[in-house]
Amino acid sequence: MKARTRAAAILLTPFFVLFTAVMVVPIGYAVWLSLFTEKQSGLGFGGTETVFTGLDNYTAALGDRAFREGFGVLLGYCLLYIPLLLVGALGLALLLDSALARARRFFQLALFLPHAVPGIIAALIWVYLYTPQLSPVVQAMEAGGIGFDFFSPEGALPSVVNIALWEWLGYNMVIFYAALQAIDRSVLEAATVDGAGAWRIAFSIKVPLVKASLAMVGLFTVIGSLQLFTEPLILNKGTGSAVTSTWTPNMYAYTAAFDRNDYGLAAAASVLLALTAALLSFAVTRLTGRKGKRA
Amino acid sequence: MSLSRSRTSCVIVGTATALAVLTACGGSGEDSANKPAGPVTITFWGWAKGSKDVVDAFNASHTDIQVKFEEIPSGTAGGYAKISNAVKAGNAPDLVSIEYSSLPEFVSSGALQDIGDQFTEADRAKLLPQSVELTTLGGKSWAVPFDAAPQAFFYRKDLFAKYKVQAPATWDEFRKAAEQVKKADAKARIATFFPDDPTTFEAMAWQAGAQWFKAQNDTWKIDTTDAATTKVATYWQGLLDDGLVHKNASFSPEWTGSLKNGTTIGYLGASWGAGVLKGTLPEQSGKWAVAPMPSWDGKPASGMLGGTSFAVTKDSKQKAAAVTFAEWMSTTEEGVKARIASGTSSAFPAAAALRPVAKKAFDASYYGGQDIYALFEASGASINPNWAWGPTTGTTNTTIKDHFGKITQGGPGIKEAVKAGHDATVAELTKRGLKVEG
Repeated sequence: MKARTRAAAILLTPFFVLFTAVMVVPIGYAVWLSLFTEKQSGLGFGGTETVFTGLDNYTAALGDRAFREGFGVLLGYCLLYIPLLLVGALGLALLLDSALARARRFFQLALFLPHAVPGIIAALIWVYLYTPQLSPVVQAMEAGGIGFDFFSPEGALPSVVNIALWEWLGYNMVIFYAALQAIDRSVLEAATVDGAGAWRIAFSIKVPLVKASLAMVGLFTVIGSLQLFTEPLILNKGTGSAVTSTWTPNMYAYTAAFDRNDYGLAAAASVLLALTAALLSFAVTRLTGRKGKRA
Repeated sequence: MSLSRSRTSCVIVGTATALAVLTACGGSGEDSANKPAGPVTITFWGWAKGSKDVVDAFNASHTDIQVKFEEIPSGTAGGYAKISNAVKAGNAPDLVSIEYSSLPEFVSSGALQDIGDQFTEADRAKLLPQSVELTTLGGKSWAVPFDAAPQAFFYRKDLFAKYKVQAPATWDEFRKAAEQVKKADAKARIATFFPDDPTTFEAMAWQAGAQWFKAQNDTWKIDTTDAATTKVATYWQGLLDDGLVHKNASFSPEWTGSLKNGTTIGYLGASWGAGVLKGTLPEQSGKWAVAPMPSWDGKPASGMLGGTSFAVTKDSKQKAAAVTFAEWMSTTEEGVKARIASGTSSAFPAAAALRPVAKKAFDASYYGGQDIYALFEASGASINPNWAWGPTTGTTNTTIKDHFGKITQGGPGIKEAVKAGHDATVAELTKRGLKVEG
């Protein structure tokens, strides 16, 4: 018994050391930072004084319309992005899983490839494809009579959603495809014997059987969306687009720290965002855990 | 491990990283003070054209001080964030480039040290008073000014001649010229409105006599919506509404592309723009000319667009060496010559005595041999001396930029953007505990 505890302690130590160093300490420091504000006096050229301001940074962040609007943008993003992602990825997975698909391995790889491109590169490529006068896509659209400004206030959200879809569709398709492959073939054979066609099998057998992974992907995507940063940041810098510097909560924290030099506010905004992510994660674990028991 | 699981940990790690960025703790500076023998090594961060050449020239001619140059992105493109991070983390370089507009922000955040004891009154007297004024804050000297950046209008003289358009002297003429250009070629425009760059707009407000930030006793008077600014905003809104100028991000591939194919035939910039155009569009050599900035009443008038100074960071132990190097770059013939001779810099030195040196070193054949330095000289003398920058340029400019991006036909416009910048500035100053009126 003793030896086992010792082994566990030894094996767990690296995890806890790293966990403390890269999670607990930075979070603790951020919380600490968020309680202070740098105050100045006179015209402000006499240097700064760090003052304990309690929860002032939190009320400042929550009271800032730009910060709250960031969550609004995230909500809009999720409402547009998640249905498209789920339907698209599941549709592709069903196609791959159907008897019709040829060259499965090729398509699997080809569809997954965009995910291997780092987000920042993907965003740069797409910014190029969105830029009027440069982009063959925009030019083709204009030739076809479709005028769409990807950088306009209406175009900003679809532009970002499109980049995210390009990056994540293949990845999630692989998850669904794996789930579909795990379905007991005898069930499918039974359905065929009972006279069900391919459509009927897809919607009445396959989709219900992969519902669990559908829910998982959906919920994890919601939480992942909270981190939305790279793609809109690229759209914000150097395009003159309607994506503002505080478009998402993450960007708000970034701008507060590095454009406004307000580390306290940035820390408070980050902590608020982390709390939101933690609450959602908790909800996700509860939901998926319960589902597991019922099954 | 399931793929979905790895995604959750991504989320958690991602959040932790966001927090970690804020807490970025760095090592201490490499240069230690306890090295009496051998040359002093200082680190310098900058992005201005020709910086590398200047550093090389300095290192070749000096044995007591050696400079390590690290190129960083230009200030608003991330350079300032990098500098303030490094200062916060305690591993900042000794000397950094900071534009006049951002200097008060760095001073007020305590990132710099007063260099008045090294950079003396006699040194300052050699430089353009407007530039010295912009680096003297709260009665202390914070940076060595390098260049003044008087505004100028660059235009394609071949296309202007083809379209029978004269270089405009006033803003009224500029609008007429813009109409003529559009009439002559439906795709061509005389210039560009940069939605990503509020500083160009600010320079035009400055030229018109606006005073956004006024320090009175110990109170900041903020007014970004004064009559002069409103005049400029209304004028540019008119140009945008009537489609007389392009709307592209500055220095973007889109902007460069339109210059290349001749659909943008002018550029409202500043002295340093001469080198930028030359470097960006080498194939158009001989086709460009420079004119003074159009003004409201036809008399020479200019704001300042950009303009760099060199400042010593607060933790640097090599202040003397850093100031020596900064002064060498700004006030010696060798320093200015090395930069301009790199071929890509057309900086207009703040040091009056060195302008002939710069003029001689700059190959003006790109502008058909035009005496562009004489033009900058006249324009530099006409820089409105009343403008000062406030300590919240980051907030002011980011807010205006955010709103410039949202400008649409019939929607919010330039005036609303400038007003938003005003409100954000006042709120930020208040939050920092400063006295504000506005």
